[in-house]
Amino acid sequence: MSLANSIRKEFTTLSLVLIPVGMVLNIVVGQLASTLKLPIFLDSIGTMLVALLVGPWAGALTGFLGNLIWGLITDPVAAPFALVALVIGLVTGLLARVGFFRQWWQAGVSGVIVTLALAPVAILIRTYLFGGVTGSGADFLTAYLLQVGQDLFGAVVVTVITSNLADKVVTALLAWGLVKYLPQRFTARFPGAERVIG
Amino acid sequence: MIELEALSFTYIGGNRPALQAVSLSVAAGEFVVVLGANGAGKTSLCHALTGYIPHFYRGQLTGQARLDGRNTQSLSLAEIVEVAGQVFQNPANQISGVRLTVSEEVAFGLENLAVPAAAMPARIKAALALTGLSALADRSPYALSGGEQQRLALASVLVMQPRLLVLDEPTSMLDPQGARDILLAVAALRQTGLTVVLAEHRLELAAALASRVIVLADGRIVRDGAPQEVLADPALEDYGLIPLRYTQAARLAQARGLWPAQAPMPVTLESAAAGFRRVLRGAA
Amino acid sequence: MDSGLPTLYRPGDSWLHRRHPLTKLAYAASLAVAGFAAPWPAAAWFLLGALTLPLAAWARLARPLGRALLWSLAPLAAALLIIHGLFNPANHTILASWGELTLGQEGLIYALATLGRLAGALGASLLCLYTTPPGDLMTALQQRGLPAGLAYVLISTLQLLPLMRRRAQAILAAQQARGLRLEGNLLIRARALLPAVIPLVVGALLDVEERALALESRGFSRPGPRTSLQAVPDTALDRSLRWALAAGALVTLVWRWWP
Ligand SMILES: Nc1ncnc2c1ncn2[C@@H]1O[C@H](COP(=O)(O)OP(=O)(O)OP(=O)(O)O)[C@@H](O)[C@H]1O
Ligand SMILES: [Mg+2]
Repeated sequence: MSLANSIRKEFTTLSLVLIPVGMVLNIVVGQLASTLKLPIFLDSIGTMLVALLVGPWAGALTGFLGNLIWGLITDPVAAPFALVALVIGLVTGLLARVGFFRQWWQAGVSGVIVTLALAPVAILIRTYLFGGVTGSGADFLTAYLLQVGQDLFGAVVVTVITSNLADKVVTALLAWGLVKYLPQRFTARFPGAERVIG
Repeated sequence: MIELEALSFTYIGGNRPALQAVSLSVAAGEFVVVLGANGAGKTSLCHALTGYIPHFYRGQLTGQARLDGRNTQSLSLAEIVEVAGQVFQNPANQISGVRLTVSEEVAFGLENLAVPAAAMPARIKAALALTGLSALADRSPYALSGGEQQRLALASVLVMQPRLLVLDEPTSMLDPQGARDILLAVAALRQTGLTVVLAEHRLELAAALASRVIVLADGRIVRDGAPQEVLADPALEDYGLIPLRYTQAARLAQARGLWPAQAPMPVTLESAAAGFRRVLRGAA
Repeated sequence: MDSGLPTLYRPGDSWLHRRHPLTKLAYAASLAVAGFAAPWPAAAWFLLGALTLPLAAWARLARPLGRALLWSLAPLAAALLIIHGLFNPANHTILASWGELTLGQEGLIYALATLGRLAGALGASLLCLYTTPPGDLMTALQQRGLPAGLAYVLISTLQLLPLMRRRAQAILAAQQARGLRLEGNLLIRARALLPAVIPLVVGALLDVEERALALESRGFSRPGPRTSLQAVPDTALDRSLRWALAAGALVTLVWRWWP
C-alpha cells in the first residue's frame, strides 16, 4: 500500500468528525488538569486517543492543527509547538500500529518513547524561537539551571525532558485505558482500535 | 421506491443478527411507521433503507436493499442521499458545526451537492417554511431549542429534495411540544407525495400518521399492515409495545360484554369516542 | 448575530472588515515572516506599532487587540525578561544590580527582540481573526482548493470548543454534587481527575458516530467541487495588496539570508 493511500484511508467521515473532538479534548482536559493544579499537562490526551483509534496521520493532524488553532485564538506560545504535537500524534500512532500499545506497560513505555521523540523538536523550538522559556511553571527550572551555571541549551534539554516525561507516560496510560474502556461496538468502527484491544 | 429482499445483518462485534431475513417493499407515497421495542432493530432497519448499512456500519450482510431498483451496495452514500434522506434521534448531533446561521446550515447539504448558488435561496426558504423555522433563519443553530434543532435537521434534509425520508425516533429526545411540532411538520409532508418511513416505539404516533404499520421484534418483521389491523392486535404487548389506551379500554369493555364482540378495536381517539358512544347508548 | 459564536470574530463594517479573507491571511503571514527574518531586533516591534495597531485603531479594535496581546503575552514576557535579563550567560554589559542579581543589556535586548517577534505575529493574526468571519475564511480557502474535509475539521473545532467546555463544567458540577473534591493535597486532586475526564471523553466520543452519519446524510462525502451560498467578493485592491505583502515578506527573507 502506498503512503498516499495509507494516509487517505485514515480520513473517513468518521475520523474527520473524531479529529476536532480530539483537538478540543486536548484543550478542555488540559484546562481541567490546570484547574486541579496537577503537575502534568494532559493536553495530548485527544491527540493520543485519535492516534490509537485511527492511526498516525490522523493523530499527527489532530496534534498539529489543535495547537495551531489554540495558538491563534488564545495562547500564541502554543502555535509553534504544533510541530511537537504532530510528533506526539505520529509516534503514538506508529507505536500502536506495530502493536506496542496492547498492554498497560507497553502504553507506559510508549509514553517514554514519545517523550524521547518529541524532545529534539521541542528543544529546538523552545531554545531558538522563545529564548528558552514559555511563560509556564517549567521556566523556574530553566532559570535555576542557568543560575547554577548550565548553558541555555543544556538547561532547556533538562527542562523539556523532565516536564514531559511524567505527562506523556500518564497520558499514554489514560488514552490506552479509555480505548479499552469504550464499548466495543464503538471502537470496532475505527481502524486502529483492534491493535490496541486485540 | 425501496425494497428489502431477505436482508439479514449482523454488526461487527454483535453477537446476534440485528436484522433477520427482512423483506419489505415500500411504494412511493406511503407513510410507513416502524414499531418495535428497544433493540428490536428499528434503527438498523432505517440504516438498511438509507445505505448506512453496509456503507457506514460494517458487518455480515446477506440479501439486498434496492433503492429505485438499484442495489444500495453498489451505490455510494453520496449517490444515495440525493434520493433518500435520514433524520436521526439526537437533535444536537445533526448540526454540522461548520455553519453559523440556520439558513447557512440548511444550505450545507446543497453546497455539498454543488447546487448552483443562485438556486439555493428559494429552496432554503421553502424548507424553512415547511418546518416553521422562517423566523429563526439568522440565528445560530446552537441557540435553538431541542425541538427547533430537530426541525432544522428535518429542513436540512428536506432541502436536498429526497424522495424517501427516513426518520429514526425523531421525537424521542424532545419535550411533548417539540415532539408535536416535528410531527405536524412531518404530517404536512404527506401532502407533498414524499415517501416516509418513521421509526417509533409509541403507538399513538403511528395511529395518527401511518398509512401502513410494521412491527419489528428481534430483528424480524412480525406484523405488516394497515394501522387499524396492526395497532389493535393484542399480540403487540408480547413484542414489548405498550398498547393504545383506547384499545385497552375497549378490550376491557369487551371482556365485560359491553363492547360488541364483532366490532373492531378503535385505534384513534375519534373511533374510540364513536364506539363508546354506541356502548353508552346501548347501556341507556 | 447571536452569541454562541465561539470565534474571535467581531462584527463590523470597517475597511479591514471588507477586505478579502486571504488578504488578511497574507497580512498575518507576511508580518510574521518579516518579524522573524528581519535582521534588526526592533523590526517586529516597529511593524506592530506602525502597521498593526494603527490598522486596528482604524477598525475600532485597538483596545481589544491591545488587551488580548497584554493578557496572552504577560507571563511569557515576565519569564523572558527575568531569565535573559538576569541569567543569560551572554550578559556582559551590566545595566543595574541588586545584590546577587544583575541586569544585563545583551539578555535584555534578546528578550525584547524575542518578545517583539511573538507580539508582532500574534497581533497580526488576531487582527485577521477579529475582522474575518470564519465561514468566509473557509469559503475563500475552499474556493482556492482547500479540501472540504480539512475545512470541516478547522471550523468545527471552533464551534465544538465552547460546547465541550460547557459539558466539562456540567460534569464537574454534577460530580461535586456527589461529593467529588477538587481542592486538597495532590492525591485528592489527582483522584478527582478520572471522574471528570472519563464521562467527558466517553460522552464526546460516543456522539461521534451519529454526527458522522448526519454529515453523510448531507452529502458530505460526495467527491468533487462544492458551491457556496455566500460569495466572498475579491477586488483588484485585494489582489494587489496580496502581491505587495508577498513581495515584502520575500524581500526580508532575501535581505536576511542573501550570502
Ligand atoms: N453499532 C452496533 N454494533 C453492534 N451491535 C449493534 C449496533 N447497533 C445496534 N446493535 C444491536 O442490534 C440490535 C438492534 O438494535 P437497533 O439499534 O437497531 O434497535 P432499535 O429498535 O433501534 O432500538 P432502540 O429503541 O433502543 O433505539 C440490538 O441487539 C443492538 O444491541
Ligand atoms: Mg434505535
